[in-house]
Amino acid sequence: MTLLVGRRVLLVEDESLVAMLAEDMLVDLGCEVVVAMRLDKALAQARTGSFDLAVLDVNLGDARSYPIADLLFERRTPFLFATGYGRQGLEEAYKAVPVLQKPYQAAPLEHLLKRLLTGDAQARTGAGGSLMACACHTPAGQPIRADHCR
Amino acid sequence: MVSLRRGAGQLFETERRLNAVLNNASVSIFLIDDRQHCIYMNRAAEQLTGWTLEEVLARDCPLHDIVHHTYPDGRPFPLDECAIDRAFPENNQERGEEVFVHRDGHFYPVGFTASPIRDDATNIIGTIIEVRDISEEKAAAERQRLLINELNHRVKNTLATVQSIAAQTFRGPPDPAARGVFDARMAALSTAHNVLVEDNWESASLRSVIERALAPHLLAEVDLNRFQLQGPDARLHPKVAVTLAMALHELMTNAAKYGALAVPDGQVILTWALRDLDDGRQQLNLRWEECGGPAVTPPARKGFGSRLIERQLPMEFDGSAEITYAPAGVICELQIPLTTLGWVGQETIEGRQAS
Repeated sequence: MTLLVGRRVLLVEDESLVAMLAEDMLVDLGCEVVVAMRLDKALAQARTGSFDLAVLDVNLGDARSYPIADLLFERRTPFLFATGYGRQGLEEAYKAVPVLQKPYQAAPLEHLLKRLLTGDAQARTGAGGSLMACACHTPAGQPIRADHCR
Repeated sequence: MVSLRRGAGQLFETERRLNAVLNNASVSIFLIDDRQHCIYMNRAAEQLTGWTLEEVLARDCPLHDIVHHTYPDGRPFPLDECAIDRAFPENNQERGEEVFVHRDGHFYPVGFTASPIRDDATNIIGTIIEVRDISEEKAAAERQRLLINELNHRVKNTLATVQSIAAQTFRGPPDPAARGVFDARMAALSTAHNVLVEDNWESASLRSVIERALAPHLLAEVDLNRFQLQGPDARLHPKVAVTLAMALHELMTNAAKYGALAVPDGQVILTWALRDLDDGRQQLNLRWEECGGPAVTPPARKGFGSRLIERQLPMEFDGSAEITYAPAGVICELQIPLTTLGWVGQETIEGRQAS
């Protein structure tokens, strides 16, 4: 838990109600959250703000969040994609980015954000999913399934 | 002599019947000899390919080189790669799908059935091929695929919305009233979707969204003694419709609990107008004003409703929203630039429907 306390997180999510939920989860994890719901605003934040982490909804209505991802790669800000479609819904160049399967759930979100902070910065391409191979277990002893798509 | 004449007459009758069948059939029929040359095609086949039987006979080459000579990507399609050709010596009614080239150069998908023709000694001396244009079936399958993808996307969105409303409603210490609040929010969400379904989930009527959101329940009309509604209708993008409906639901719930709708004579005046923006879009300016209710005091803490309206709604649509707790009654003013209608795949679907 403490690893995430005070971290600045850029949350990009285009649905009002869903953004509220994800924001609350991040706040409950101790993060300081900046919410952007539109591509242009998110790009402006990613360009000018300084963030420890980012959570990107892939589908922003009529746009995709890939330009934000490109900016975050450049700035070496670790991030994850949140999507209801799993990894196969991602464009080829982004398949190595960790995926949080929607709907948002607190435990996988926390797990992946911690991995982003402790693991190596993700490569732009390469063996997709290597970052996901983690033997970490929940207190109940059940493996966390952060990515149901594989 | 008599029987021979009768025989010739019967043969003539049979040929006439066969021609009537072949030339009125809607399926294209080709007869192919052992060199893969077409020796007969019916009227439907002429229409399908753009070639007449006479022209095909005059070309004196395999039928493949006339109707099937090029792959859709432009590469030449040699006869020895042709599945229809491979079907030739095999069994009866070999079926498959291929893409033919029309005389005018356009490609069209076909389904074919090929069966061998045998002589008296059961040697195969040719093939009969039935061909159907399956463009419409292919287009229908593509439409269905796009619609299912879109439906999947919307169902997932809706579930995520429900999850969020539950989390917001049940946040904090257990409250027995929360269950009722949750059910009312679910009803508001469901009602907003009813309005969307009226126009195939492509857009929603602004006026319907407002009237349905303000009606006391699904079967009742909005009470015009309590609400004054004034403004033009407009088509709303589904996202705008759902968020606006939820915002109005929260305003109404608040008014019923603490505001103008909590007393018999209180009223809500809802007025709206559309303004043209510089970028060609329209902006909805909507004003909710309560009057005749008890004196208003600003709430001690802001809840789900004010967070949704004042914070999320402007961020989602790049607009603005303000709630004023004026003593005479709550005022809420919204400015929402209207999102252009449409969704991924819609153009494909409508383009093909029109043709």
